[in-house]
Amino acid sequence: MKSLFSKGSKNGVSDNTSLLPCSLNLVAQQMLRAPRETIQIGTATNWHFFAQAANPPATAPPVKKDLQVPQISPLEKRLQDMGSIRGDGSDKFYGMENYGNTCYCNSILQCLYYSVPFREAVINYPQRTPMDNLEAALAKNLRYQNPNAHLEAEALAAKQKASSPPSARQAGVPPNPNQKPEDKDSPEYKKKVALQTLPILETKNNATSYGMSESLFTSLKDIFESVVASQARIGIVRPQQFLDVLRREHEMFRTAMHQDAHEFLNLLLNEVVANVEMEATKQSFIEKALPPTESADSLGMMPSSTGSKSPNTTRWVHELFEGTLTSETKCLTCEKVSQRDEVFLDLSVDLEQHSSVTSCLRKFSAEEMLCERNKFHCDNCGGLQEAEKRMKIKRLPRVLALHLKRFKYTEDLQRLQKLFHRVVYPYHLRLFNTTDDAEDPDRLYELYAVVVHIGGGPYHGHYVAIIKTEDRGWLLFDDELVEPVDKSYVRNFFGDRPGLACAYVLFYQETTPEAVMREQAQENQASTAAAAETSEAGKSNGSPFSPPLAHAQSASQVSPENTIPFSPLSRIPTAPPLSTYPEEPVPHPTSPQSAQPPLPPIPDEPAPPLSPKKSDHQLRKERRAMEKEKDKNEKNRLKEQELHNREMQRREAEELKRAIEASRADTVDFAAENGSPRKSSSFGFLKRGSRSLSHRLSKDKEPRASTSDLSTVPLLPELVPEAPLKEAEPAQPVTKPVQPTKPLQSPVSSPRNFPPISNPKQPKQPIRTPEPLAKDLAKDQHTNHTKPGHTPRWRSFSFKKVA
Amino acid sequence: MFVLPPPPPRYTIPVAYAAGAANGMAVPVVETNNTITHPERGCPLQVGEGTYILQDDLLLATPPPHPSEAPIINPNPLATLPTPPTTGVKLSLVTLDPRKMPPTFLKPGVTAPQFGDGNPALAAPPVAAKDASKRRKPKNNIIKSSSSFVSRVITHETSAKRLGDRDANGVFAFANINRAFQWLDLSSPTKEEHLTKVLFTKAHMLCHDVNELTKTSSHLDIVMGSSAGDIIWYEPMSQKYARINKNGVINSSPVTHIKWLPGSENLFIASHANGVLIVYDKEKEDALFTPDVNGHSEQEVRRLPLDILKSVNSKNQKTNPVSFWKMANQKISSFSFSPDQRHLAVVLEDGSLRLMDYLKEEVLDIFRSYYGGLICVCWSPDGKYIVTGGQDDLLTIWSFPERKVVARCQGHNSWVSSVAFDPWRCDQKTYRFGSVGDDCRLLLWDFSVGMLHRPRAHQASTRNRSSIVVPNSQTANRHRADSGDNRVRSDSNQTDKLYGDIEQTSHPVEPRSRTALLPPIMSKIVGEDPICWLGFQKDCIMTSSLEGHIRTWDRPSDSVVKS
Repeated sequence: MKSLFSKGSKNGVSDNTSLLPCSLNLVAQQMLRAPRETIQIGTATNWHFFAQAANPPATAPPVKKDLQVPQISPLEKRLQDMGSIRGDGSDKFYGMENYGNTCYCNSILQCLYYSVPFREAVINYPQRTPMDNLEAALAKNLRYQNPNAHLEAEALAAKQKASSPPSARQAGVPPNPNQKPEDKDSPEYKKKVALQTLPILETKNNATSYGMSESLFTSLKDIFESVVASQARIGIVRPQQFLDVLRREHEMFRTAMHQDAHEFLNLLLNEVVANVEMEATKQSFIEKALPPTESADSLGMMPSSTGSKSPNTTRWVHELFEGTLTSETKCLTCEKVSQRDEVFLDLSVDLEQHSSVTSCLRKFSAEEMLCERNKFHCDNCGGLQEAEKRMKIKRLPRVLALHLKRFKYTEDLQRLQKLFHRVVYPYHLRLFNTTDDAEDPDRLYELYAVVVHIGGGPYHGHYVAIIKTEDRGWLLFDDELVEPVDKSYVRNFFGDRPGLACAYVLFYQETTPEAVMREQAQENQASTAAAAETSEAGKSNGSPFSPPLAHAQSASQVSPENTIPFSPLSRIPTAPPLSTYPEEPVPHPTSPQSAQPPLPPIPDEPAPPLSPKKSDHQLRKERRAMEKEKDKNEKNRLKEQELHNREMQRREAEELKRAIEASRADTVDFAAENGSPRKSSSFGFLKRGSRSLSHRLSKDKEPRASTSDLSTVPLLPELVPEAPLKEAEPAQPVTKPVQPTKPLQSPVSSPRNFPPISNPKQPKQPIRTPEPLAKDLAKDQHTNHTKPGHTPRWRSFSFKKVA
Repeated sequence: MFVLPPPPPRYTIPVAYAAGAANGMAVPVVETNNTITHPERGCPLQVGEGTYILQDDLLLATPPPHPSEAPIINPNPLATLPTPPTTGVKLSLVTLDPRKMPPTFLKPGVTAPQFGDGNPALAAPPVAAKDASKRRKPKNNIIKSSSSFVSRVITHETSAKRLGDRDANGVFAFANINRAFQWLDLSSPTKEEHLTKVLFTKAHMLCHDVNELTKTSSHLDIVMGSSAGDIIWYEPMSQKYARINKNGVINSSPVTHIKWLPGSENLFIASHANGVLIVYDKEKEDALFTPDVNGHSEQEVRRLPLDILKSVNSKNQKTNPVSFWKMANQKISSFSFSPDQRHLAVVLEDGSLRLMDYLKEEVLDIFRSYYGGLICVCWSPDGKYIVTGGQDDLLTIWSFPERKVVARCQGHNSWVSSVAFDPWRCDQKTYRFGSVGDDCRLLLWDFSVGMLHRPRAHQASTRNRSSIVVPNSQTANRHRADSGDNRVRSDSNQTDKLYGDIEQTSHPVEPRSRTALLPPIMSKIVGEDPICWLGFQKDCIMTSSLEGHIRTWDRPSDSVVKS
């Protein structure tokens, strides 16, 4: 394995692989991946450090130190004063590996992850036993996965420390930069470096631990949870498993072709709704089948059986993204106005040259004549009549996903074309096109994410996401690469700039004027530093000064206090280790049959130690609560300290910056900022992690090595069941569970004023027909995925005006 | 199925976009001349009083990039390098003809005190120019300049002759485009030919203003603010200039707007992108600026909506700045002086409109846009109304005496970039204003006092729920009443008042359902690129656009006669 890897790097294969976000160098990717997979263990979170796997740790640290000046990335710089790791995932900044044209998926996943309510909902959805908090639950998850949880936890902590010091990162950069002159500012290069140096986070199917069968939702949850639970702040997620599920269930994504990010978003949201609701239906079956007895109670470990009973718990996607549109149609013959409500998960708006999203939304609601071939069937006067129609928003979504229809079907070219219209979007938004009776019609939205499409047409190109994080400002997520950007950077994608990059999907989330003002006040304080920082970043990515590295710092500060919620919990004796890898080999043979009767209990039953006695359970809860309390105190104390430290650091950093800038001002040509050398070696030594950290690395090497040896064994059984699963899964929804879901869903999904529509798809027909089925035409696979089992009932809402 | 073309390299640029085109415009490789066209069928603006006819469309030549400017080899659209700000073409017009001056609506005889009155350190030196012909000029000759800031100056070969022959009452225009700054004579038959064109090295001029007080046939005081933060004081007749805030020594943030203080020969005010308003004296030297903290305890400073880092009353007035106010850390988009010269309306990127009594260095009120940043602001000629335009595609009319929003004007399809009243079509009852925006449109609006105060019919019932009722006239009067006394608030009862002030000064956003909505009387697409400036003249309406189109519409002939 080692040799394989090093060979790869020598041949320069690794040089190429990481930079192929959209081109299909799969072979090379595979080669790179191979060594990594062999190290894999059956855990939800697998950290590897392949540098470490490749090089004996002992040689790694000091020897190579001077080969390359380690650089603190702009992201790390922005994360410098982060303090201790939080439990809610808001302080994790992970790139996502691109497996060849999967940037559509990466960008959307990132946008969803940084929607705080969505992330929380995904994390919390199959409700765990009432008192469980996320951390505990996650700890449990980890343990489910891996009997050596505490070992793992330690390994994780150590590894993450290992990840920070330059020694490790260095080892991970095999080719000496001198060998091959490369543009170090190119995103390709940065991605490559990121992929080689940052910790890699694998996600694995963890579905059974949620009490669900594997679906797009569970694999999404897997990604979110492993990021939230990870101990490092930055790294790269490998959404391989998610993509596998996606491709298994949706034919159109099986090709390595460029896909539409908006379509993917819509599909994903619909799938999540479907998965969650189907699971809920199943649960209700189970509950009917098993009356709540002692035995059911003993299943308390099975989260969903206790939690998801109430109908509300399955509606979180709706509550976030769903809004209601009312179409008022006025028959011009009998003057009767008929109303019809429809729900939407996102809005697709037509674009005009030199317009704003405000105006596009207003156009969306402008009056429309239904005439000629598009007449309205009036129930009152009977028959097709001319009519006036307008669409207004009756219920505003909490997260407003706006799809700018940049891809337009042109008759003369017989294909989709990209529109490079200049469409401006403000940082804040309110909707003008609401009905008079809408609740909170003046709701204020703030822009929190932009998906940008780069490229000349709909069939190729690249997607990136620019996202406002909770407290670290705006970041650019370009597959593996995560870079801090200026707030004004968001405005580079109106569509009129050179470079073919245009905003394609805008995510607005609800906010309040107070929150906005608070934020603006904070921007005030930060902006001077931030401005300096970004301009600095522009000049040279390798910042010359390096107070503690982001993750190094977090590691050193956190390990005593903050890993506590994770590690000690996993050692609690009441939960004895499970049989290894229960979810993989066990459920697969059973799951097909278990689709009708109880699904989730099955993986449980073979593991009796899983169901603890009540008292145990309670005890644990109490302990947890106590720990939480303690933790809180400690955190508070830490926070104070932090604040102080931060202040000091900031001051220092600023001073340094000023000094450096001043000194540089003489030498650096203003215009040549772009290409200016990025490293200033004089400060390099500062950046190295302290030696103790590298020691850690060597220490944890032993368990690591042993597990990696072991892993070859379970790997095989893991791989085998993959095949039957693939066939079994898609079949599943079509057969049994779908029938019950439908009647159950429709009352849930349709609000009170829905009744007239028996078939929710129908109203869409008149709306969509005028549009030349642009997308559907281009991607006729689209129709394929609507066929099986769950037809997405919420689609993005789009229509084109006839006039 | 489609045969897919091979994916292009990930970051490509269309050939049309040349280096340095930050706003996506094509940039020529060589110096070119301005061109003028007279569109035959024009672009008539039809309104009640008649039809405004497009007279001509003057296209300013975009200068080529400076040779030192390295061509951008890496046109990565995702490059995180911040791009220096630039702006579309804006005009400063100046005429000596008193007949062309806008009508005034103010009672004569009421004059505002001078800024900095009462500070002996600011008192004008006794040798101040009594004779208009002997106005002080800047020191350096711009043509012979060896400055690295000024690239070169192109004077028209017959400019001296043209200046001599011209109608003394004609209109001069000053226009910025890219890194060039042009001086045009709009009353010349060859008005497309510039008199002088100044090319700067890297900085783009973002704003400029001509001093109305000091203008004579042989002297014009122009100040312009650049993207680098530097300010140029320029006298075009003698081709002299001076550089203020050199290398951003006082504030290095780009200058977003600049205006001479009304009634002042020397002082002008510049807003910077980092939320700072600075008053400079054109004749004073720069000095490294250190905030003045005397007079304020630190606590007090924090509570004030305006952070006075240097007061006009400071004793240290030997050097620039004269005063230095930190308003917010958000970009100040624009500001405008009230016709009575006492107040300043400032609009910011954070969506706030802040009304200042700049003579007393206080913020009186803070209003908020419906959403998004505010971009432009102006006062009605009688000083009763303020109109703002912003990123909510709206124009908002605020009543100054009542301190509240009176109407929102919906009609633009994109952000509103400039707004101006048409004083020739305003009287005590009705007002006319125009606006232009990124949607390439010019809109004209009429409103009358009665109309504005009529709320929308079906919302009348909800009116009483309003929670923001402003203690209207009181607030206004209070500030007017205690004029002249000391501004320094150090005693305790004053501080108490301060708390109340802050609560009163910040007004929440009025919901849509309670605000009158005004439609435009005319809306027209006038070009193919965003329009960024609008001006009303006695005989015409003028606009200028991002790419340099200056369009002039003649007023309908009968209306001129009427007024």
